[in-house]
Amino acid sequence: MISELLINAFLVTIMLSIAIALIKTRTVIFTVILTSAYSLIAALMFITLDAVDVAFTEASVGAGISTILFLAAMAYLPKKEEESINTQFVPALSCIILGGILIWCSYDLPEIGQLTAPIHQHIAPEYIKGSKEDIGIPNVVTSVLASYRGYDTFGETIVVFTAGVAVLALLEKKNPVKKNRSLPSKKLKKNA
Amino acid sequence: MHNNPILRISTKILFAPIILFGLYVQFHGDFGPGGGFQAGVIVASAFILYSLVFGIEAGKKLFPSNINLILLALGGIIYGGVGIVSMLLGDEFLAYNILGSSPQSGQHIGILLVEFGVGLTVSNVMIALFNAFADYDKTKEK
Repeated sequence: MISELLINAFLVTIMLSIAIALIKTRTVIFTVILTSAYSLIAALMFITLDAVDVAFTEASVGAGISTILFLAAMAYLPKKEEESINTQFVPALSCIILGGILIWCSYDLPEIGQLTAPIHQHIAPEYIKGSKEDIGIPNVVTSVLASYRGYDTFGETIVVFTAGVAVLALLEKKNPVKKNRSLPSKKLKKNA
Repeated sequence: MHNNPILRISTKILFAPIILFGLYVQFHGDFGPGGGFQAGVIVASAFILYSLVFGIEAGKKLFPSNINLILLALGGIIYGGVGIVSMLLGDEFLAYNILGSSPQSGQHIGILLVEFGVGLTVSNVMIALFNAFADYDKTKEK
């Protein structure tokens, strides 16, 4: 129990210091790298909560691939962020008030891992039981993701596809070299 | 980066194990942590690493962008196709029970195919995004 507390305190301290460093830094590459480090610590946080699948996704997507994509996109940005002139008093105040309300509300949350919490009573027992009997798969996360909630995952896949196509369309439009269009003409020449 | 021997050789050594690990995560997702999303990202990272070290042109020679764009759409089609096949066999959309001889084997086949579709789309979207950003740079310079 005390070791868990120590680990959590350690991780939260690192997360907080990364967040403060993120606010302070004005160099874009440091922002990208710090965001990646933040994701990695968040992944460790998920492991302490026993959510291994989520941690895996966070580490590979949040810390891995999105960092690379940010770095690739960074090539078109100025190297440094501009210093903002006006003091942002109202946003800071609203953030503090909202954070205070959230912390205040968190006292009403059930304890982590408590069996009698509403979230563990609703539909989760059915999934845990059914995953072995109906589907025959030991990993409940996969059976919920792919079978019980197959529609949701289908939607997610289509969202990833749509996002990819949208970015491709945006970048292609400003692209003066018609690289992809030269492929069909090559085929035509071969046919002729 | 193209002339650094350490990067070149370690990329060549690492390329196959990364893809192998991606396939393990893909097809072992029923038993351990993992699945299509994570596996797709891991496989994509191998190709992106290759493009980063050997240059975008070499990366495109390894994995041509027209195949990339076809596979990008194919993943979603596989996922939706599993649903439509289960509909044609007389059950509901994405109800896998009917796909196999017993409900459990049907679920196994359905989940395997669906996760494969997810992995295909995710990995190819990531590679396509990286290629799009890397290509955009060159055309801007001209």
